[in-house]
Amino acid sequence: MSVKDLGHAGTVTREERHGEFETRFMRINVGPQHPSTHGVLRLVVDLDGEEIVGIKPQIGYLHTGFEKTMENRTYQQCVTYSNRMDYLHGFAHDLAYVLSVEKLMDARVPDRAQRIRVALNELNRIASHLVFIGTGLLDMGALTPFFYTMREREMLLDIFEMVCGVRMNFGYFRVGGLYRDVPDAFFPAVDTFLETFPKMIVQYERLFAKNDIFVNRLKNVGVLSRETALDWGLTGPSLRASGVPLDFRKAAPYSGYQDYDFDVPTYDAGDALSRMLIRIDEMRESMKIVRQAVDRMEPGPIRDPDRRISLPPRSELENSMEAVIFHFKLVTEGFHPPRGEVYVATESARGELGYYIVSDGGSMPYRVKVRVPSLINLQSLEPACIGGLFADMIVNIASLDPIMGDVDK
Amino acid sequence: MGLRDLFEKDVQELENDGILFSSLEKLVAWGRSNSLWPATFGLACCAIEMMQSTNARNDLSRFGSEVFRASPRQADVMIVAGRLSKKMAPIMRRVYEQMPDPKWVISMGACASSGGMFNNYAIVQNVDSVVPVDIFVPGCPPRPESLVFAVMQLQKKVRGDAFDQHGVELPMVEGWSR
Amino acid sequence: MVAVSDTASDIELAAATRATVDKLEPLGGVLKTFKDMVSVTVPKEHIVEAVTVAKESGFAMISDVFGIDYLTYPGHQGKRFTVAYNMRNPDGNGRLFIRVDIDEGESLPTITHLFKAANFMEREVYDMFGVVFDGHPDLRRLLTPEDFDGHPHRKDFPLGETPTLFGEGRFLDPAAFRAGLVGADPGLTGWKGGAAKGAVSEQPYGQGAGMHGKESGKP
Repeated sequence: MSVKDLGHAGTVTREERHGEFETRFMRINVGPQHPSTHGVLRLVVDLDGEEIVGIKPQIGYLHTGFEKTMENRTYQQCVTYSNRMDYLHGFAHDLAYVLSVEKLMDARVPDRAQRIRVALNELNRIASHLVFIGTGLLDMGALTPFFYTMREREMLLDIFEMVCGVRMNFGYFRVGGLYRDVPDAFFPAVDTFLETFPKMIVQYERLFAKNDIFVNRLKNVGVLSRETALDWGLTGPSLRASGVPLDFRKAAPYSGYQDYDFDVPTYDAGDALSRMLIRIDEMRESMKIVRQAVDRMEPGPIRDPDRRISLPPRSELENSMEAVIFHFKLVTEGFHPPRGEVYVATESARGELGYYIVSDGGSMPYRVKVRVPSLINLQSLEPACIGGLFADMIVNIASLDPIMGDVDK
Repeated sequence: MGLRDLFEKDVQELENDGILFSSLEKLVAWGRSNSLWPATFGLACCAIEMMQSTNARNDLSRFGSEVFRASPRQADVMIVAGRLSKKMAPIMRRVYEQMPDPKWVISMGACASSGGMFNNYAIVQNVDSVVPVDIFVPGCPPRPESLVFAVMQLQKKVRGDAFDQHGVELPMVEGWSR
Repeated sequence: MVAVSDTASDIELAAATRATVDKLEPLGGVLKTFKDMVSVTVPKEHIVEAVTVAKESGFAMISDVFGIDYLTYPGHQGKRFTVAYNMRNPDGNGRLFIRVDIDEGESLPTITHLFKAANFMEREVYDMFGVVFDGHPDLRRLLTPEDFDGHPHRKDFPLGETPTLFGEGRFLDPAAFRAGLVGADPGLTGWKGGAAKGAVSEQPYGQGAGMHGKESGKP
């Protein structure tokens, strides 16, 4: 397929723009490998001088076949795959997948496990927004904030390593609860982080959020009105920056989110500046949730005691034949959910995330469809960029926050 | 890596008389190894760890990788960080061919080195089948310290201090032909 | 979707959802519920009308359009593919799945004039299942390479595993290794599948857990 086959990518014809003059639009390929730090996104851009008249994202350069691979792994094994999609907010995918399977199995996750899940999910959301800020500003040419945000991110990655054993791409959630309990050093580490981080946010705000150059660079760039955003299927912070206060943690609470007290920041302007600033506000709200989740944590089990889902405790294996059989079945085969199809919508750092799982009663999912936010959000690049300058395209990509692992699945 | 290691018996000469004899190849290899500029080829999760290796805690630029050049024409080493899909493979080959000689490739992570946890229709099972790889880094994702160690191993390979898996000494990268 | 009950009596449908479901009935809509999932299956001819009716009666957001291939689903009667439209009501948070059953070779009308968000979603269904959407502005492959042959998420498309070769000449065939783990083939572990004697088995159908050999089309 050559670029000519793409046809006319713009929404404006040459005749409309230039009347009877003989002009051509220039077609530029912003190839999969490019200086912007947003991964392998390829854009075919039609330019009239510096102004964009057409833009088409060509994706698939990171297509990994997650959904097909998950059809060949048991339900517990799929947890290792889900966080590799959106690798910056891996816990969101893990949580969405695990919630879907638990809904299918009618599993009852204990309170402590839910609170740990929520705390880690929100800490991961903060880490994801830190990368958003760092790389977004790096794309605009500001090198310093990258080092500042990465410094905070290292604190969070240390916490994750302490709990899960690995900095990124965790395999910590299980269907029915968690892999193991958090170590005691988790709580002082989280306390330290929650004490120091607000001062860092103030530092970021002073560094760039109130900086004239930054504001003028982003104000009224890539404006997405409320109707446009809804029509193009945008969700997540980018939608909230266009005036729609939709947050699935409030609208369809899961995993205990209805018990936490937090606000949903909403901006009305819908431009790139709002999309950047809203994530700073979201980091503050996430901190509140983490504080509440950690404070309300009671000692208790961290896995659903149902033997059909979770392994029996080791001590029981010496006495009970049933325990040995359950253990054997779970380890060799995995559990069998009943036949049916479920979907649970959750809120990741990028938008609505949900796993539609079709179960045929076997130990492996029959079909897993991941409703990924970045793929749908990326379509909004078209209305945001058309009519704007070519240089603003990078800013628009950065502010919509696509993750190519999420886009290409 | 200091001057002392490279030019052992000449250091005394340098300290006493202020002059130093060496072969041009050694000097060029020393210079090259200490200024390997990577081309940005971050694909997936390993790219995030690659970015973390350039931050203030694990500083890759103290090993010479001062900047990540966006243009392959200005880069020495291509760090393939992440899973390579079959759609991306021809583009990676093109980027590799656009890099001027001498060039090296570090295959970072399990997915680039062997397909990792993905063995399916979409992922290239070993990046070595597309570009010649010098250093493989295991991990999913490898810690930034692992990547730094890989860069150090590449430095040794460039200088001629490296051994392959059978214990055979690898030759120093020739100055003019590679 | 196999229904736990074919009526909506086990869950309380929200008023808006109930109203929409009633409006879809004259178009041939068949309601099915499972836990709190509500789905209406409409015939192919009325799909655009059904989505329009749903959009106008409150389900103003479309979350997803996706396909399911029921080729190797045990006990499935009916057409092979299902394309489902995942729609959401912004007021009150109702969720409705509108499903269409189609066979191979059949095409569906596009809904991109109703929801611009459906552009990439329909392209992905085309790419992965081969379902053509008539009237789509730009129906090309989305995720796989342009010259890719086949539609990957179909059940008769193989996963594409290649054996892993080790330096000394050993090789590991992933499918055989995994089949050994779930009892379809004694393989490396020697386990022949099924539960041990005396265990409680919840599954109504026979020996061997899971559905294996999906790639080769064996039921």
